[in-house]
Amino acid sequence: MMKTLILAGASTLALSAAALAADKTLTISVYSFSQDAFQELVYKPFEEICGCKIVVETGNSVERMAKIEANKDAPVIDMAVLSTHDALGAARKGLLQPVDVAALSNYDKLYDIAKDPLGDNMGVGYTFYATSIAYRSDKVTVDSWADLLSPELAGNVALPDVTTNQGPPALYMIGKAMGETDTSLAAPIEAVGEKADDIVTFYVRSSQLAQLMQQEEIWAAPVGRFAWGRFKDNGFPMAWATPKEGQTGGMNVMVMTANNGNEELALQFMDYWLSTEVQTALANALIDSPANAEVTVSDEVAANLTYGAGTVAQLDLLSAETILDNRDSWLEQWNTKVVK
Amino acid sequence: MFENRAIGLALVLPAAIFAAALFLLPVGILLAEAFQTENGWSVSAYGEFFASPRNQTVFFRTLRLGALVAGVSAVVGYAAAFAIVSLPPTSRGRMFGLVTLPLMISPVARTYAWLVILGRTGFINKFLVDLGIIDTPLRILFTETAVFIGLLQLFLPLMIISLVSAMENMPRDAVPAARILGANWFQVFWRVILPLTREGLVIGGTLVFTGSMTAYITPAILGGSKVLMLETLLYQRVTVANDFVAASVIAMILIVMSFSANLLLKRLATARKSRK
Repeated sequence: MMKTLILAGASTLALSAAALAADKTLTISVYSFSQDAFQELVYKPFEEICGCKIVVETGNSVERMAKIEANKDAPVIDMAVLSTHDALGAARKGLLQPVDVAALSNYDKLYDIAKDPLGDNMGVGYTFYATSIAYRSDKVTVDSWADLLSPELAGNVALPDVTTNQGPPALYMIGKAMGETDTSLAAPIEAVGEKADDIVTFYVRSSQLAQLMQQEEIWAAPVGRFAWGRFKDNGFPMAWATPKEGQTGGMNVMVMTANNGNEELALQFMDYWLSTEVQTALANALIDSPANAEVTVSDEVAANLTYGAGTVAQLDLLSAETILDNRDSWLEQWNTKVVK
Repeated sequence: MFENRAIGLALVLPAAIFAAALFLLPVGILLAEAFQTENGWSVSAYGEFFASPRNQTVFFRTLRLGALVAGVSAVVGYAAAFAIVSLPPTSRGRMFGLVTLPLMISPVARTYAWLVILGRTGFINKFLVDLGIIDTPLRILFTETAVFIGLLQLFLPLMIISLVSAMENMPRDAVPAARILGANWFQVFWRVILPLTREGLVIGGTLVFTGSMTAYITPAILGGSKVLMLETLLYQRVTVANDFVAASVIAMILIVMSFSANLLLKRLATARKSRK
């Protein structure tokens, strides 16, 4: 019974795949946010250039990774955008192939840290963001990551959950403020665990955080710059901290799935996305901070992004390797010391 | 019903195949994972799961909140159901409509409303501070209390509906008869209403208990990661740790707990019956 069903399903898929291949299709896997804008600024213009059709698959990174892994032998997805550590995880499982950067005309325009963040050209950075502390400037002043655990903020602060992309970098910076730069994060997790009762919640989504700030549940929280737009105009005096330990952040990369058979078109699309024109358009729409160093934007736009060589050079990023190798141990420590 | 049994079977077959192939089989495969180790079949995953103090906390918290929500909704539900069935038919319909109305609103929206009501600048805290009962706003959000309130509001209607339909099937004269014969209200409830409505209580109790235990949205929004329940822990195991074994173990625990709750409640109901 099952066999028949699977066979039936497989043959339907095979048929539709064959039908689609006839008119050049590129299947991409992307984050679900701002898809309307991406459609307008990236996908549609590219479809006109290539005379092809873009099929967009969205979802959270776990779902998208699972799909790429499940279709490993007959890839459905041609190119995907992922966080650096998810991309490295996929590369280690043999799900990716190196990007032929020689074929990308815009490659040389990228900031150096975006060029080969994973090694072996397994991914090309297309955007990054700073992570710092957004706070109520009428209530407190934040100039160090250590302030998050200070008595002034006790009962008025939210931290990112260790399972989020912001969690480990924020913990790392709290550790740095304590004089500990060990990536085991043992010291900062211990410190947060001791103060767990003073922390309102450990958030999992930045949208949730915006609401907590709006309802005056919290006065300060570490957050990615991409979410700043939700805070700056919320009716309260808000400020973006420039802590003395520096700001941290993260990067997203484009990857090429292994043996997808559509490499040429995927490369053409990557090159288009990295072009000064598209990167500028995405920056002006306040969607993605540019990885292309030739992008110039107005001061107003720049103030809302992670923009410019200076800013980029100062980001204290945890490497993809560190995150991937320590993730399980961080969660284990977190579960025993913090959430209990 | 059918002259030919074969026709009956043939009619059931498509639905049965559909359920078996697309529901039972995948669920079976998923649950089997919790019994598989490198050395063959074993229950070691369960031992490992319960060895962690954090998992124990989460397990007992889930059990406690489920039982508490079921218990409180039974008490409140009996009062509400009794009031509703005592009304004349038109008002009864209206009241019943009001009770079921929240069920038609998405749990996400309902839970978000609690986020506003229970917040530090929310309705409850403002009210208490204005009355001078408290000086500084209470921290209710992201505590077990918040999850309890959210779950109670979410599942109370199910209890009321079950009890109302049970009471409607109760002989009309049972309560007046007991009163005339000299029973006080406690005796009326304990010896007349409760035995006659126990099926409703079993159904309502099972629905509320299993519902509370397996709810995801309410504990996720009102409790957050500081008040993990089995469902939110399951989500964390799958999406973050990619630990499908622990997730299957949790799923199995939830299924077993749901069935046990139902059996236990049924047992309690029949025990009372046979004693009489």
